[in-house]
Amino acid sequence: MTAGLYVHVPFCLTRCGYCDFNAYAGLGDLAPRYVRALEAEAALWAGEWRDERFASVFLGGGTPTTLKAADLAGLLVRLRDRFDVTPDAEVTIEANPDTVDEAKLSALLEAGYTRLSMGAQSFDPLVLQSLERVHSPGSVRRAYANARAAGCANVNLDLIYGASGETLASWRRTLEETIALGPEHVSAYALTIEPATPLGRKVQAGLVPPPDPDLQADMFGLACELLGDAGHEHYEVSNWSKPGFACRHNLGYWERRPYLGLGAGAHSCRGGRRWWNVRPPREYLDAVEDDTRPIGGEERLMAQDERLEEVFLKLRILEGLPTESVDADTASTFLDEGLLAHRNGHLVPTERGMLLLNELVLALAGE
Amino acid sequence: MTETTHIRNFCIVAHIDHGKSTLADRLLELTHAVAEREMRDQYLDKMDLERERGITIKAQAVRLAHQAGGKNYELNLIDTPGHVDFTYEVSRSLAACEGAVLLVDAAQGIEAQTLANYHLARDAGLSIIPVVNKIDLPQADPEETARELGELVGWRPEDVLRVSAKTGDGVTNLIDRVVELVPAPEGRREDSLRALIFDSTFDPYRGVVAYIRVRDGVLSSRAKIRLMGANLESEAEECGVFAPEATPSPELGPGEVGYLVTGMKDVHQAKVGDTITIAGRHRAREPLPGYREPTPMVWSGLFPAEGGDYSELREALDKLKLNDAALRYEPETSQALGFGFRCGFLGLLHMDIVKERLEREFGLELIATAPNVEFHVVRDGRVTVVHNPSEMPQPGTYDHVEEPVVLATVITPSEYLGPVLDLCQSRRGELVDMKYLSPERAEVHYHLPLAEIIFDFFDHLKSRTRGYASLDYEHWGYEPADMVRVDMLLHGEPVDAFSSVVHRAKAPQYGRRMAERLRELIPRQLFDVAIQATIGSRVIARETVKAKRKDVLAKCYGGDITRKRKLLEEQKKGKARLRRVGRVDVPQEAFIAALRVDERAGDKR
Repeated sequence: MTAGLYVHVPFCLTRCGYCDFNAYAGLGDLAPRYVRALEAEAALWAGEWRDERFASVFLGGGTPTTLKAADLAGLLVRLRDRFDVTPDAEVTIEANPDTVDEAKLSALLEAGYTRLSMGAQSFDPLVLQSLERVHSPGSVRRAYANARAAGCANVNLDLIYGASGETLASWRRTLEETIALGPEHVSAYALTIEPATPLGRKVQAGLVPPPDPDLQADMFGLACELLGDAGHEHYEVSNWSKPGFACRHNLGYWERRPYLGLGAGAHSCRGGRRWWNVRPPREYLDAVEDDTRPIGGEERLMAQDERLEEVFLKLRILEGLPTESVDADTASTFLDEGLLAHRNGHLVPTERGMLLLNELVLALAGE
Repeated sequence: MTETTHIRNFCIVAHIDHGKSTLADRLLELTHAVAEREMRDQYLDKMDLERERGITIKAQAVRLAHQAGGKNYELNLIDTPGHVDFTYEVSRSLAACEGAVLLVDAAQGIEAQTLANYHLARDAGLSIIPVVNKIDLPQADPEETARELGELVGWRPEDVLRVSAKTGDGVTNLIDRVVELVPAPEGRREDSLRALIFDSTFDPYRGVVAYIRVRDGVLSSRAKIRLMGANLESEAEECGVFAPEATPSPELGPGEVGYLVTGMKDVHQAKVGDTITIAGRHRAREPLPGYREPTPMVWSGLFPAEGGDYSELREALDKLKLNDAALRYEPETSQALGFGFRCGFLGLLHMDIVKERLEREFGLELIATAPNVEFHVVRDGRVTVVHNPSEMPQPGTYDHVEEPVVLATVITPSEYLGPVLDLCQSRRGELVDMKYLSPERAEVHYHLPLAEIIFDFFDHLKSRTRGYASLDYEHWGYEPADMVRVDMLLHGEPVDAFSSVVHRAKAPQYGRRMAERLRELIPRQLFDVAIQATIGSRVIARETVKAKRKDVLAKCYGGDITRKRKLLEEQKKGKARLRRVGRVDVPQEAFIAALRVDERAGDKR
């Protein structure tokens, strides 16, 4: 079984109102120290993870492309020095449209990055405004063209649907524009309101309406339809790809393969244990510079935790759950209602079932 | 023991907040009944609930010593509950007195309860001393209040006493007036004992303690006693007086007020209104008049919010009942709410008090079904009593239904008379009569179905009169009414806890309101849930809770898994607290919210 290597870069140009990731605007000055710390942290784990083969590396954030191309290239070299990263590994870097030009992208590809994941979110300026994104639809098209010109052969576009003011017609245009660009991979997320974000507080205060779940359901259905027609396979609740372009790294989470996370707030999982680094970048830097592992917390998975995770992760992807692992009566209700389907001796959610996955999970994981 | 000629037994009757407790406090102070350092406000209201709400629930008695004209007098002040729910208890307390102080707030004037209490006191044959209180208030109008009050009781306004219970102004004068105007008790030592129980409590160490007033004869400790109404005998373990705390006394003579430790273990054996006499051949032949069994007027199902607390609820009711002879309960099983009790109460305040005491004193969390009155279902001249809407037979299986009707008194500023009349009309009221207390204030009497009053009548009355109107009512009797049972169906299954008996003309509106409310309260399920209000097989209102379409975590990557797993566990716990009705999951909160009465009964005046 291969493992995944995640690297978290917590810096952003600005904070988006809906985002609850471990990301900070205005800490860019810490970048050089942070890159050194990532390399140092890798050294702290190298021995323990010596025997793992890493088939993917994923630089997420935050916005990893706020770092200099040279730093990103050097980082990848050091990671390959420390860990057994397979020669054909998928190496993804997340980017914001405004942080990449053709030269930078060429440098990254040259350094061994193979996949670019770009936060497009929408092609409707009003929706981008509603999401407090600073880029424009034009800059997405420009960045996408740059990626292609630089020779990037595996591009993902991230989309968000259901923001206040977005209509089904507007979402259709966003999907059509996306498809017209022809990315290998599309992630489309229903906007989720997180309480501890500026948007969450606005919703709580009644200043912004919460997303309408029925409209989001329609939008999901439209995404399934249009992306499917364009030759994309719907391989996870929120992910579509051309055949052969499913994100290997992310599949690792859902298939429950081990992963090591480096960087502030990064999570790791291996051998029935999960742990995570401290979130504030400065605390992280202090710990690593002090030659200690920057662990913020951990948990051991009990049998029932494992079962629940197995169910809710495997149902997200095409793999599904072995039919015999599920109570037949419970399954048959959902099969009858068209929320589950049989596939290769497994139960997988249908398109409608995916939208009601929590219900399925709670029923099927019942002890 | 005091000679009857030197005893005065009296009570204070007043509308709420007209200063009864404050006046009682001043009387205790001025007669030195309570040491100064032990004095506190609302001295006679011992229950927390009474003190918080400013109401009297249990009657109390206290003996005051007073000197007038060189003679020592024993004054017994009996503090009575004031609420319409406890009218019978009040009437027994009044029956223990010879006089009543009728207290009216100089800034408010006569209110509905003033009238109700006055009529009760007058009917009990008491001497009535009208008193205007709160003359120290800047907005007080003692002259106008004395005029109204004088007119009511037939006194010249200038003879009406004016006091401030707060400052003590005029209160000594009032005590003299009590001695002068309240007749000494009659009754002879040599007659057979007859003592009236005007309240009783349960003491965990001593058993049932009865509060009594001796009419005739002498009650001594250790005497063999007999309760004439209950037809029981026991031993008087101890008798005594309240001075102000219980103080043993070898005997209680005619006219005296005190307590009796009965040796009985169940308060239902020593009910308010019963007569105590001596056991054996010296027993009295005739009991004192007026004894009757307490009759519940309002019923509601009480269910533990956590199904497992059923036995705790039973235990709590058993304990509460020891101290509350009016409380009735019988086991009830609801498909929706599980095991609980159908409880009968004297009224909404009584219900509210019982529920609050169960929750507060016994730490229970309860779901109460909407209160309903008791209906009489008549078929071939035979009457079946129904106090649970789900037991109401379907239309066509009976001749007619009778419902309880009250005689309500409303006093309102004249400018709001129109809205008050409109409200009473809209509640199926029948105007009895109407008169002006003054050009500014009117008194209206209506016959109203009790069922119309127990919901939000009082709230509406207050809001239509800017809070100025007051309400009181007495039970009038049963009258035929076109009542129907409205059932609420979820996905085709009737939910017994939501059934209700309403007037046919109001059924559609009621059904629509309940259906709309349930639509808002019932979470979306995996299928469309039909909510229907029905009379028999006829659907009178319908709503739909549309099927849930989206319930999924959009993102789930490395860092999210622990958090998302915990979210799912939370969601699972939430599901475990749902109650399943047919195929529909209904959260507990939906039951509580759907069954909530729009007003708090305890605030009903």
